[in-house]
Amino acid sequence: MIEELRSIASLAEEEIQSTETLNALTSVKAKYLGKKGLITERIRSLRSLPPEKRPEYGRLLNQIKNRIEELLKEREGYLKEADLDRRLKAESFDVTLPGFCIPFGHLHPATRMLNEIIDIFVSLGFSVMEGPEVELDYYNFEALNIPKDHPARDMQDTFYISDDVVLRTHTSPVQVRVMEKHTPPLSVVAPGKVYRCDADISHIPMFHQIEGFMVDEHITMGDLRGVLEVFAHEVFGPQTAIRFRPSYFPFTEPSAEVDISCVLCNGSGCRVCKNSGWVEVLGAGMINPRVFEMAGYEPGRYTGFAFGMGVERITMLKYGISDIRLFLENDKRFLEQF
Amino acid sequence: MKVSIEWLQEFVDFKLSPQELSHLLTMAGLEVEASETVDGDTILDVSITPNRADCLSVLGIAREISANLGVPIRQPLISVKEDETTSPDIEIIDTEICHRYASRIIYGVRVGQSPEWLVRRLEAHGMRAVNNVVDVTNYVMLEMGHPLHAFDLNRLEGRRIVVKRAGDVGRFKTLDGEERRLNRDMLMIWDAVRPVAIAGVMGGLDSEVTPSTTDVLLESAYFDPVSVRRTSKALGLTTEASYRFERGTDIEMIVRALDRATALIKELAGGRVTALTDNYPIPYTPPEVSVSLQRIRGLLGIEIDESSIVEILKRLNLQYKKEGEGFVITPPSFRRDIQQDVDVIEEVARLYGYEKIPSTMPAIRLKRIEGNDNFRTIRLIKDAMVKAGFSEVINTSFLNPSALDELNIPDNDRRRRLVHIKNPLRREESCLRTTLVPSLLNNAVLNQNRGERAFSLFELSRVFFDRAEALPDEVMQMAAIHCRPLRPSIWEKAHNGFYDIKGAIEGLFDFLKIKGYSFQRSDKPPQPYLNPVRSCAIVINGEVVGSVGELHPSVVSLYELRGDISIFEINDLEALIRAIPSRITYRQLPRFPYVERDISILVNKDVPVAEIEGVISSLNSEIIESVRLFDIYTGKQIPPEKKSIAFTIRYRSSDRTLTDDEVDELHSKIIDTLRHTINAELRG
Repeated sequence: MIEELRSIASLAEEEIQSTETLNALTSVKAKYLGKKGLITERIRSLRSLPPEKRPEYGRLLNQIKNRIEELLKEREGYLKEADLDRRLKAESFDVTLPGFCIPFGHLHPATRMLNEIIDIFVSLGFSVMEGPEVELDYYNFEALNIPKDHPARDMQDTFYISDDVVLRTHTSPVQVRVMEKHTPPLSVVAPGKVYRCDADISHIPMFHQIEGFMVDEHITMGDLRGVLEVFAHEVFGPQTAIRFRPSYFPFTEPSAEVDISCVLCNGSGCRVCKNSGWVEVLGAGMINPRVFEMAGYEPGRYTGFAFGMGVERITMLKYGISDIRLFLENDKRFLEQF
Repeated sequence: MKVSIEWLQEFVDFKLSPQELSHLLTMAGLEVEASETVDGDTILDVSITPNRADCLSVLGIAREISANLGVPIRQPLISVKEDETTSPDIEIIDTEICHRYASRIIYGVRVGQSPEWLVRRLEAHGMRAVNNVVDVTNYVMLEMGHPLHAFDLNRLEGRRIVVKRAGDVGRFKTLDGEERRLNRDMLMIWDAVRPVAIAGVMGGLDSEVTPSTTDVLLESAYFDPVSVRRTSKALGLTTEASYRFERGTDIEMIVRALDRATALIKELAGGRVTALTDNYPIPYTPPEVSVSLQRIRGLLGIEIDESSIVEILKRLNLQYKKEGEGFVITPPSFRRDIQQDVDVIEEVARLYGYEKIPSTMPAIRLKRIEGNDNFRTIRLIKDAMVKAGFSEVINTSFLNPSALDELNIPDNDRRRRLVHIKNPLRREESCLRTTLVPSLLNNAVLNQNRGERAFSLFELSRVFFDRAEALPDEVMQMAAIHCRPLRPSIWEKAHNGFYDIKGAIEGLFDFLKIKGYSFQRSDKPPQPYLNPVRSCAIVINGEVVGSVGELHPSVVSLYELRGDISIFEINDLEALIRAIPSRITYRQLPRFPYVERDISILVNKDVPVAEIEGVISSLNSEIIESVRLFDIYTGKQIPPEKKSIAFTIRYRSSDRTLTDDEVDELHSKIIDTLRHTINAELRG
C-alpha cells in the first residue's frame, strides 16, 4: 500500500514536469487532487484503514499531497512565464525604424553663445538693454568721443544711410543711450547686431556684439579684470588665463585688448594663436570721462568700465569653427551641429 | 608700420631677441602683428593705434623701448653748415590750418640714385626708391615721423611759397599723374601764381624733383590734422604723409627734421645750403594736466607709491610739478594724445604693467532697470520654435530691392518703404530688409542646392521701414519656412506641409498662453507670394498679426525650388508679445465626470471646419467642454460635392453630474442647428 502510494507520487511528479500547457496542467491537477483524484480518493478511504496503520499512512499521504501541490504551483508559474514570453515574441516590432516625434530644431550658434554670455552677466546682476541697429552718427561716434574727421573713425568701416545716420558699427551706442536715461549705479549688457562695410574671408558685414558696462562711484580697472575673468572661466573653463594689453578706444581710457590663453593649445602655441599662446577676445577699458560728460553726469563723480566683444569670434573659439562666413550661410548641416 | 630692429638699435641699446622685443612692444600697446627677416635684420610690422602718432617712426618706437626698459635714447646727430645767407621766401596766409612752415634751399644738387643702404632701408619699410633727394625726405619721415616735401625750385614761379586754400583752382595734377578735383577749402602750397602741392597729402607733377633738377626747396611744415584728413578723404587719397599729418605730427620737431634731411641731401647729392626760414605764426602751447594720486590708485585699483609714479613720468618725458596730493603734467609736444588725467593714468598703468593690476570683484549697489524684458520672451519664442522642429537662421539685414518685385509686393505696400545704404558692398545688398521672406527663400535655395530635401527654418530679426524721422522704424519680425518632399517616406502620413507649419504656430501660441487667435480666410489672399487658395491670415483678438500658407507656385518656380513649401510670417512680434497674458490664473480641476457624444455629418465640401465649430460654440452652452474633430472623409459612399465630418463633443458641468436626458437634449439641439445653418445631414 505504501509502495503504491510512492509510485503514485513519482508518477505525478513525472507528469507535472512534462506538462507543456496550462490546460494540460489543470487536467493533471484534477487527476490527482480533483474530487475523484487519486490522492483525494485515498484521503477519503483513510477511515477504512485499521487504526494502527492510519498515522503512518496518513502522514505519508499528506506529504505527497503537499509535494504535488507545490510542484503544480511551480509548474504553473513556469508555464505562465513561458506563455507570456511566447506572446511577446510574436508581438515584436522593428525598434530601429525612425520615431514619429518631430525632431527638435536648433538654435543658431551665435544665439546659443549669446544666451550663454547673457546668462553669465545676468547672474552677476547685470541688466539687459538693447538699442537701434540704425543709429545716429551722434550715438555711434560723437557721444563716444569719436568726432567727425577723427582718424579713429578708420578703425571701423561704416555703412552710411545719410551723413548723420549709420548702421551701428558696435553696440557701444547703447552705453550712451542708457546713461542719458539712467543714473548710476548701472550694470548693463547690450547684445545685438552690428555692421561693418567689410566682407572677405575673415570678415562678414553683419555680426553680433555684446557690450557690457558698469558705472558707480568706485569702480576700478581691477574690477574690470575680475568680472572678465569670471566671464572667461565660465565660457572657456576654469583653467583659462586672461591677459590685458594696452590699446586704444576713444570711449575708454585706459583701454585694453583682452586676450585669453589659447583654447586649442592651452598656451603652448599653435596655428589658432599664431604660436603666441594667446588669442584676442575683446576690447575693454575704463569709461572715458568725456563719455560721462556727454551723458550729462556730474564730472569726476563716477568711474566705470566697459567692454565689447564679437559674439561670432567667441563662438568660433569655443566650438572650433574656422570660417566666419558659415554664420550667415545657414546651411542646415552647420546649424544642426549646435 | 614696419620697423627694422637694426635701425632701432641706432637710437636705443637693448639685448632682446626679436621675439622678446615683439612681446615687449605688444605688452606696451604697440602690437607686433608679424615679423620677417631680411638680410640678417628683422623687420617688425607694428600696429599703431590712432592715438599714438608719435610712434609712426623708428625714433618714436625707439622712445617706447627706452621708456619701457629704462635706458637712454640717442637722438640722431644733426649738423647743418649753411653756405648761403639767403633764405627761402615763405608766406602763410591760412595760418589757422598751417601753424608752422620751415624751409631751406639747397642749390646745385646732383640728383641721382641713392646709395645701396638707403634703398634697402626704404624697401624694407615698404617704400620705393625714387632719387636721392626724394629718398632722403622719405627716409627722414620714417626715421623721425615728420613728412617732408622737396620742390624743384626752378619750377616754382617767383621762387616763393605761399600757403593758402585752393579757392577756385578746380583741378590739380598730382605727382602720380592723376588729375584731382579740389574743394575750395583744401589747403594748398602755391608758388607765386599757381598751386604746386596739396598740403600734407601729395606734391604736384609740375614741381617734383627730377633728374634734371639742380636747386631744391625743402618743406617741413605743420598742417592741421582735421584739414589734412578732410582733404585726404574727399580726394580718396591716403599717403604716408597724410596718414601722419591727420594723426598729428610733432610741431616742435619741424626744424630738426628739416635739418636732418638737409644734411643728408648735402652728403649724398652735394650742393650749397641756405639759411633757415621758419614761419611759426601759431606757437605750440602744451596743456597742463592735473592728476591726483588718489585718482590714479582709485581708477586702476592698485597701491602704487609716489616714487614709482615719478619714475614712470620721467621715463616717458612727461614733465611734472608736484601739486598737493598729485601732479601737474606737461606732456612733450609729440604726445598730443595726453589731454586729461585719465590719459596720464593710462601711461602710468602701461609702464607699471597692465598685468600687475590685480583682479577684484566690484562692490556695487544693485539696481533694476525697467523695460528690458522682451529679450526673455524672445528667447522663449525661439526655444518653442526649436522644439517645434525649426532651426534658427540668421541672415544679413540687407535686401535686394528687386526681391520685392519677385514676391509681387504692390507699390503702395509698407514693405516698399525702403531704407537705402549710401555705400553698399554690392547693389544686391543696397537696402535694409522690410521682410524676412526673401532671406528664407534664399536659405531654402542654398539648402536644396546642397541636396537637402526636408528642412524647417525660422528667423527672428528686426526689419526696417523708412519714415519721416531721422531713424527708421525698427520692427521685430519672425518668419519660418518649411520644406518637405512631395512624396514623403512610406511610414510618414501623407499631408500638406501647411499643417505642419500651422501646427507650429498653434503650438507656439498655446505655449505662450495666447488666447483668442484664429486663422482667417478672406477673398483677398493674405500675401501676394502665397498660394491664394492655400493661405490665411493669423488673427489675434481681431487684429491681423501675420500670415501662413503654401508658397505661390509662381514664386516656387521663380526661385527654382522643389517640393511642398510653406511659410509663415509674424509682422510685429512685439504686438504678439503684448498679447501674452501677464499672468496665468488657475482654474479649479473638474469635480464631475464628462459625457462624450460623437456626431457625424455630411456638409458641402467648401464648408470650413472652423465654421462648424463656430456654429457649435455660438450655442454658448456652459456644458460643452470641447469639440474635437476626429475624421474627415470624401470618396466612396459620399456624394461628390459633399464631405463627411465627425466630431466628439465632450459635455461636462462644473457643479453637477449630467443626466443622459439633458445631454441628449443639447446634442439634438446642436444637430438641428447644424442642419439649419449649414445644411448638415446627419450620417447613420
